[in-house]
Amino acid sequence: MTTLKIDVHHVTRVEGHGNIVVDTRNGEIKECRFEVVEAPRFFEAFVRGRPYYELSHITSRICGICSVGHATASLRATEKALGVEPPEQTVLLRKLLFHGEIIDSHVLHTYYLVAPDFLGVGSVIPLAATHREVVERALRVKKLSGDLCAMIGGRHTHPVAMAVGGFTHTPTEGELREMQARLVDARADMDETVALFATLPWPDFERETEYVSLKKDDEYAFIDGTVVTSDGFSYPIEDYRKVTNEECVPFSTAKWTHHNRESYMVGALARVNNNFDQLHPRAQEAAGKLGLKPICYNPFLNSAAQVVEMVHCVEDSIRISDELLTRGIQPEQPPKIEVEAGEGIGSCDVPRGILFHNYVYDEDGICVKANCIIPTNQNMANLNHDMQALVPQIMDKPQDEIRLTLEMLVRAYDPCISCSAHFLTVEFV
Amino acid sequence: MSESASRRMSESAISDKRLAIIGLGNPLRGDDGVGCRMIEELARRELPPGVQVLDGGAVGLGLLNLMEGWERVVIVDAAEMGRRSGEFVRFTPADVRLASASDRPSTGSGHRFSLHHAGLSEALALADALDQPLPEMVIFGVQPAGVGWGEGLSPAVEAALPALADAVLASAVCSRRREEIIGENYAQDSGD
Repeated sequence: MTTLKIDVHHVTRVEGHGNIVVDTRNGEIKECRFEVVEAPRFFEAFVRGRPYYELSHITSRICGICSVGHATASLRATEKALGVEPPEQTVLLRKLLFHGEIIDSHVLHTYYLVAPDFLGVGSVIPLAATHREVVERALRVKKLSGDLCAMIGGRHTHPVAMAVGGFTHTPTEGELREMQARLVDARADMDETVALFATLPWPDFERETEYVSLKKDDEYAFIDGTVVTSDGFSYPIEDYRKVTNEECVPFSTAKWTHHNRESYMVGALARVNNNFDQLHPRAQEAAGKLGLKPICYNPFLNSAAQVVEMVHCVEDSIRISDELLTRGIQPEQPPKIEVEAGEGIGSCDVPRGILFHNYVYDEDGICVKANCIIPTNQNMANLNHDMQALVPQIMDKPQDEIRLTLEMLVRAYDPCISCSAHFLTVEFV
Repeated sequence: MSESASRRMSESAISDKRLAIIGLGNPLRGDDGVGCRMIEELARRELPPGVQVLDGGAVGLGLLNLMEGWERVVIVDAAEMGRRSGEFVRFTPADVRLASASDRPSTGSGHRFSLHHAGLSEALALADALDQPLPEMVIFGVQPAGVGWGEGLSPAVEAALPALADAVLASAVCSRRREEIIGENYAQDSGD
């Protein structure tokens, strides 16, 4: 085929609205891009003029899937601005809660959005008929991670118990012990998950790029640390703008970012590539079974990296529970905050990649300026460069197959273009 | 989020699970937040015993977990019903066809399910596909004026809140009364 025209409006099974446009004539690419039609710069408007203690709750509403991630990055930005250091127990509980959200988001993405492509069905609904045990396992893991989030955050999504400097509610030792036992039981589901995804034929495609993530000396980083890239750069979180270099592009409402190359990638694959040695041994073993070895340049394997991280988070949650139970859980009283003017930058590596929240507070603790750089925006340029590299390799295949492969590429990035309204459309019968 | 609302939500996890009033939506998207706003309003009121309020937010497919174990749920959500903004309708899943992502225009590949739209309709479709038992369910759909980015409800939906709160609570009380009457009849029958 020498002439190809693909126009996929609103790629499904991704979060938000994005279109794929491909136009080739006589084997030459005229147009090839992923365009975002909905990604408003709404963030600053929501938090400006609001007091410091409201920001994590407002920002946790940006997204139903990354609500803990936004809340954590938000709290870290506020804590740095106001000079608050959370105590050790708070840090441990936040890590455990964060693991819950990573598992929750990854199980949704891998099982509900990615697996149907490989198992030959259009969505998770028919998958329930053809592969019932697969969907039931996904729901089981989702329930576990949701309950873990609720145990610490106070409810399944949009955590209420997280506050500046501490938690307003802590789990009991009994609850934690019960949760730990369920996490141990979940190892069987993790083994099955690895076995399932190890059989999936990932498209054979590689393009060298730069991977950006957080890094810590003592653990696989999700909260705090330094910003590192696979090209050997390292920056304190405060210098995030040296990495993100945001720029506007005409066909997308999302700003593009680039660092050492024309684009970079963030997310599970970037983290696994940059921090492989700090993964739990069981997670490293899972990576081996999934054919994922750093440094891996196949973006489709971002989904495999998510499976690896689920295994890691289950194991690390068991370990953190042990640590909390050994220490004994103390009631938390978030500290009285001495409000002062200041600026703070918080960063977390949330399910879809590195996230930055940057706030400026006035002397009354009112937010006067804010900036938020989400992972999906940072991946947009890389996704487009991947697409431009992939299309010439698959141009001779049937059009439906090309379309599906491109959609799968978009989905592999797990883009969250904007969190959406989830209202019903109702027709009375 | 008011403190009383948070308190009730954490209490809800431990007390008896007869009837949950669940608000859904995103308060950062205009009238889509009506369900969450309703929960805040109800949390300030005296609730009948056995009734709890839950702010589900953008819980998506996690709604299935949230509904688990409850005998009945009353769900409040923004709903496109082709009515005037602020009008609300009480219905059950059996009364309506809930358009899901799979009903929306195809992208050509037949892959139409999206967590982007995962809300009540997708959660119910998945439960149905797995024959998963669900609690008895009543839904209050509220016609939004707008669901674009921005905090706060439109004047039309804001004005509907008191009547909506009364109706939701009446619905909760009604189903409790019915439960008691059924209970009494049962007691009489078994006494005979």
